[in-house]
Amino acid sequence: MAFTPSSPLTVDGVPVADVVAPESAEHAAALLREAADRGHGVVPTGRGTQLALGNPPRRADLAVSTANLGGILDYEPTDLVLSVGAGARLGDVQAVLGEHGQWLPIDPPGGDDATIGGLIATALTGPRRLASGSLRDLLIGITVAHATGTVSKAGGMVVKNVSGFDMPRLYHGSLGTLGVVVSANFKVLPRSRAERTVVSRHPDLHGALAAAERMRESRVPATGLEVATDGTGARAAVRIEARDSTLPPLVTETERLCGGDQETLATEASRAWWAAEAEPFRLSGAGDDVIVRCTARPRDAAEMVRSVLSALGPLEVEVRRLAASPAVGEATLRLALAGGSSAALAAVQAALLGVARHVTILAAPAAAKADIDVWGPLPEGHAVMASLKAQFDPDNVLNPGRFAGRL
Amino acid sequence: MDRTRLVEQLERICGAGGVFHEPSDLLVYEYDGSVEGAVDIQMPVAVALPTSTEQVAAIVRLAHAAGVPVTARGAGTGLSGGAVAQAGGIVVAMTRMTRVIEIDRTDRTALVEPGVVNLELSETTGPLGYFFAPDPSSQRACTIGGNVAENSGGPHCLKYGVTTNHILGLEVVLPDGSVVWTGERVAGAPGYDLTGAMVGSEGMLGIVTKALVRLTPNPEATLVQLAAFRDIESASQATSRIIAAGILPAALEMMDNLTIQAVEPAYHAGYPMDAGAVLLIETDGLTEEVDAIGDEITEICRQHAASEVRSATEQAERDLLWKGRKMALAAMGRLSPNYYLHDTVVPRSKLPATLARVEQISADHRLPIANVFHAGDGNLHPLMLFDRRKPGDVERVLEASKEIITYCVEVGGALSGEHGIGTEKRDYMTLVYTGEDLAAMAGLKNAFDPASRFNPGKVFPKGYMCGEVRALRAQAMAQKYGIHPI
Repeated sequence: MAFTPSSPLTVDGVPVADVVAPESAEHAAALLREAADRGHGVVPTGRGTQLALGNPPRRADLAVSTANLGGILDYEPTDLVLSVGAGARLGDVQAVLGEHGQWLPIDPPGGDDATIGGLIATALTGPRRLASGSLRDLLIGITVAHATGTVSKAGGMVVKNVSGFDMPRLYHGSLGTLGVVVSANFKVLPRSRAERTVVSRHPDLHGALAAAERMRESRVPATGLEVATDGTGARAAVRIEARDSTLPPLVTETERLCGGDQETLATEASRAWWAAEAEPFRLSGAGDDVIVRCTARPRDAAEMVRSVLSALGPLEVEVRRLAASPAVGEATLRLALAGGSSAALAAVQAALLGVARHVTILAAPAAAKADIDVWGPLPEGHAVMASLKAQFDPDNVLNPGRFAGRL
Repeated sequence: MDRTRLVEQLERICGAGGVFHEPSDLLVYEYDGSVEGAVDIQMPVAVALPTSTEQVAAIVRLAHAAGVPVTARGAGTGLSGGAVAQAGGIVVAMTRMTRVIEIDRTDRTALVEPGVVNLELSETTGPLGYFFAPDPSSQRACTIGGNVAENSGGPHCLKYGVTTNHILGLEVVLPDGSVVWTGERVAGAPGYDLTGAMVGSEGMLGIVTKALVRLTPNPEATLVQLAAFRDIESASQATSRIIAAGILPAALEMMDNLTIQAVEPAYHAGYPMDAGAVLLIETDGLTEEVDAIGDEITEICRQHAASEVRSATEQAERDLLWKGRKMALAAMGRLSPNYYLHDTVVPRSKLPATLARVEQISADHRLPIANVFHAGDGNLHPLMLFDRRKPGDVERVLEASKEIITYCVEVGGALSGEHGIGTEKRDYMTLVYTGEDLAAMAGLKNAFDPASRFNPGKVFPKGYMCGEVRALRAQAMAQKYGIHPI
């Protein structure tokens, strides 16, 4: 059944005149080709939950929705491989995999409501990145509709493949600027049946960061190691996944190392806790707030986390929440920006760039984005990136201006 | 630029001791680890052995000015012709750039030059508690730069992933002689994933001069189990059951009877001579977990009528069990003067059917084929035994190869799991890819190397010149829609 997402759609305040949901890869490619011929700009979209990411589009005449490109195309539980349409909702995919005790081990905030195509485009991750990496590490094949009107595929349905260039990794994290992902293949993994989370409360960030540091040096293989604060006190959370029989000694060790006031959550409570923890960072729930990600080398991460707060101190912002995975070198903040002006956001970006290696504004009010590149300074290798864009989207049809360096 | 002048210029960059140009010196650089016959040999004009990024960049600028192709080379252990200078020109051998620049225990990274030997990196980081996970069977000789170029695998990539999962950033000399860092030691670098594009690009996009690699903590405990089965079928079924039970071993290798016949008398690893197939299963992790998983694996193997399951936890015992697997290729000399090692992948569930087909092809061509391979991820390595001196043997090997590849592709497999395409399999690319698929790859090539100066003649089928992407796209569109753009 054909489905057309509700109009009107706006992207960073830019109204999109038309939304079309192609029913096949070829249909998508033909739409893109037509847009190129007309000099139009196209915003690829899934369920729209991550549209906040990126610079405002230079033009957005058409949204190409993957709403009719969902569904599981192929799933072989014994081969641990999955082929899925780009429009499939991650939560739905996980439910099918879950019937066989398997899953895609990723947990970006709000990710269950996002589509597979959207998750490939944004490359966002959550605390699980520490143990499982990102979709990049699971992607084994891809089909893409190009703005030149063609459809290409790469990779396949096997977990090891070096037949030609590794195109799937090029498209991952490219924000739909090289092509519209139509379907993707993944290796999937068995999911642990049991997990525990030890949450320890500490008077300040120092205490929580020190607990995280002790955990990282320990023998406990954490699949989540997060430090968070909402202004009053701080806490460290450690997730452990293992067989039932091996959990107790690991939990004891974790409790011993973490200190502070503790609570240990069993499987269901643990899962609910991490879901709630991610909620403030869901891009579609940002409202007028700003969500920003700062990264550093893991060795510098604790220092970055401490400095972030002092760097923002003099500015007219309120830090509503900070969550960091120091072992990954990542901290994400939710800020209330006084006035929501572009000057205020520029000041936040500049202050954070002083203490972090990279700063990405993941979500912000449209007006505040006007004068900055939300991805920060031009990335190294920008000239090659511009050539890539010119090769794959010579007419600048796809998400024009929204990606790093305004590609 | 004539040859003498080119050599002179190269010597100005690398010093007289850093350039080979006499035919006797060049001989060793005209081939790599590939089987002659499957891959053409070609002598370069000169070989340069730089010792720094600056020298590599200067060589590339010289080649750029002179319009000469450049082929980067590590230890030359590749099996698909990747390091052979197909169009002549300059070979840049990275074997003098061998510094481990920095090991960072907090970041769990190592910054290395491309000529560092794979195993030597793990030997260096081992005492600090870490290893570099990709472990191709050539790991005693092959270099990190070569691993990056080929996106190398190895037995342990079942659990740990292939090279691309372990490369965080690369310093690269581009075809115009400029130097960039792709990715960084920091997550969240903005822009396209140039690191991901570089890994596995077979030296066609850039020359790696430094690599920032991920180090993996040494496991607390390691268990190696040997299970002997009546036939390949039951060993394959046990493999599928282990994976289906939610167990992810560090490695899961299979050897057939012909392999056992070659290996056991030579290395006395303790493989039962009468077994139809043996599985070598390595599990690692926390001590408690490894013990529990080991018991589960034993149980599954017994359910599939394993005649014997042996477990080894001590290093010496484990090494002995692995020795037979690791020395399998060397042992083939006991059976035949030459062998051609193939590398294809099929979905794991297609293993039994594929191995049956390989057996049929072996019989059809009167060509003994031994199987020693990564069963856990469906990565086959049929070893065709032949005698180069016998007329017709090479032709039969190539014919059998074609049949095996074609079958693997038909059942949903891939052309190569870890050896790459190079020249060996470039003409098979159209078996799996359409003109449009290849045009997308050509788009990537063109963004980095529009003049097609780096390692020309690889990956793309003969006649698919990378400079003709537009023509390719037009052709693809014409086929698809009957459109004929001007």
